[in-house]
Amino acid sequence: MVDASTRSRPAWLQQYELVGKIGEGTYGLVFLARSKLPSNKGVHIAIKKFKQSKEGDGVSPTAIREIMLLRECDHENVVKLVNVHINHADMSLYLAFDYAEHDLYEIIRHHREKLSISINTYTVKSLLWQILNGLNYLHSNWIIHRDLKPSNILVMGDGDEQGVVKIGDFGLARIYQAPLKPLGDNGVVVTIWYRAPELLLGAKHYTTAVDMWAVGCIFAELLTLKPLFQGIEDKSTHNPLQLDQLDKIFKVLGHPTPDKWPTLNNLPFWQTSRQRMQGPKNEISVLHQVVQTSQKSPAYDLLSKMLEYDPCKRISAAQALEHEYFRCEPVPGRNALVPIQPNDKVVGYPQRPVDFSADFECSGSQPPQMVTSSHAVNNSAAASVTAPRPMPQQIPLVSMQRLPPYGLAGQAGMPGLTANNLSVPRGPSQPPHQQQFRRLN
Amino acid sequence: MAANFWGSSQWKLLEQDEIGHVFPADQENGISPEDAKIIKIHMSEYIQSLAHQVKVRQRVVATAIAYFRRVYTRKSFVEYDPRLVAPTCLYLASKAEESTVQAKLLIFYMKKTKKCSYEVPDILHMEMRLLEALDFYLIIYHPYRSLIQLLQDAGITEMTKITWSLVNDLYKTDLILMYPPFMIALACIFVASAFQDKDTLAWFEELRIDMHVIKTITMEIFDFYENYSTLSPEKLSAALKKLPQRT
Repeated sequence: MVDASTRSRPAWLQQYELVGKIGEGTYGLVFLARSKLPSNKGVHIAIKKFKQSKEGDGVSPTAIREIMLLRECDHENVVKLVNVHINHADMSLYLAFDYAEHDLYEIIRHHREKLSISINTYTVKSLLWQILNGLNYLHSNWIIHRDLKPSNILVMGDGDEQGVVKIGDFGLARIYQAPLKPLGDNGVVVTIWYRAPELLLGAKHYTTAVDMWAVGCIFAELLTLKPLFQGIEDKSTHNPLQLDQLDKIFKVLGHPTPDKWPTLNNLPFWQTSRQRMQGPKNEISVLHQVVQTSQKSPAYDLLSKMLEYDPCKRISAAQALEHEYFRCEPVPGRNALVPIQPNDKVVGYPQRPVDFSADFECSGSQPPQMVTSSHAVNNSAAASVTAPRPMPQQIPLVSMQRLPPYGLAGQAGMPGLTANNLSVPRGPSQPPHQQQFRRLN
Repeated sequence: MAANFWGSSQWKLLEQDEIGHVFPADQENGISPEDAKIIKIHMSEYIQSLAHQVKVRQRVVATAIAYFRRVYTRKSFVEYDPRLVAPTCLYLASKAEESTVQAKLLIFYMKKTKKCSYEVPDILHMEMRLLEALDFYLIIYHPYRSLIQLLQDAGITEMTKITWSLVNDLYKTDLILMYPPFMIALACIFVASAFQDKDTLAWFEELRIDMHVIKTITMEIFDFYENYSTLSPEKLSAALKKLPQRT
């Protein structure tokens, strides 16, 4: 991108053409880049940069977890870690993923704020089925995601994998087979709106059921375009007890009772905070009204089984995939964004905002050392970045989780993007990525 | 995959010729295959003793030693100083196994036990080099789980202690890189039965496993106890002297 600094950068950087910055978090930054490797030339890659913590703690445990789990994961509905790079000069770590143009946060927001129409049944069902399919893979491999929320559910844009769901962000995921520490030990995680009631009531151990609760919340949000339980987080305390969030849940699902949830009395905060859980103790669920779905419909039946209070009775991902909802018309498909029915309108979703002014920031105070991965790339030509998509203006840089939204109306078939520069073919006959993996060392 | 050995990256076990070799850079320093073996045993014990001081569980030790041994199937001692690699493997393993140990605590105990010129930044730099050397594969399966299950199945849980110690000792060999964890566990049960006159032959027969493999591992175990379970101080210091001296 910049002529002068190109020569002082790690060798692996030469295999990418930086497009810009697409996100920022406490761990670091996320960039969009295009691969320059002959094997997948032009393919978009999301690169997550982890900053070295200042306290002398080395590589962040979040990055270690994400690498450790995703290095072994291989599933169509789980985000693909295509490469890991290290810049020894500034001790930063880069995780390269297949780029997904959309996520459920943006898709839902587009429907709510721009289109004002609900997401069609085929799309909802296909998205949900694929989320469950990926989750079933994770759970059967003893991985709990622990932070499922719409922004972590990615959806592929134009290309061979268009409309395919990818579960992303494994920074909080855990292997739960024989953990050395209780799984709740590192403080309660999961964004409060999608947090299961047993965690809010102080359960020490995570189970796969916490992920299913989050999927239930996401399902409802896909139906109504609004987060189901929007509690206000009490950040003043490290206590996992979140009364407002519990209150929001109880108002929709009714108060839980030890009758229906036998282990309720064992949960730390149920005993101590009962009095503080205000309001009339209504046991009746009004979920069907909130999601405006008939109690007799398969959709409602599945949703209510995901939002079952007792984690032991909550439906599993494997069971959910077998649910009647997925057998009745319209049946779910691989491309969630383009319905098979000719009458259904195809919605074009906006592309992720990109800050084109951003840089990998690789040039440290000392010249970066060479990095292990060696690719035969032509590094004489300075990479020039041409804007791949229409941009109304430059995005102001703000330190926040995602870049601020901007008014780019979604259209199908944006200029500048062709089928082969967005996503990568995958499946049984898919050598390019594996080659790339092996080449890493 | 993550919690299934056969679906994981680890099932690609190594062959004898992939682990016995000495890299040219090390040969130049006069390091023989025997020296390399002794250095690795010593460093495995060093990891164990550091782990004892910083108080982490045996599984963290096992993961650290597995990392250590994997690294030296790919890298030379000259390039990667084992005196730094060993503690850094423990550091990385403590993160991977959710029992993070602070680098400065490790440095403290490193200095306590022996002369050591390394500091925290050295561990942090080596951590990144290790990630690369390990090709970013960090999940390691160990025989302990299978061992407990197999002992229960055979109805000889009273042998837990002796077999567990046998497994721990096998981390001083490269057997853990060559055989799947359950085979290691079985071989330890086999050896322990022989020692304690337990008749487990009928049980082994029912398992329908390849007894040749068990016997091969058994021979290695005997070789270890006969020749390496206590390192001769002379041999050890001779081997360590061949490592590049840090100034």
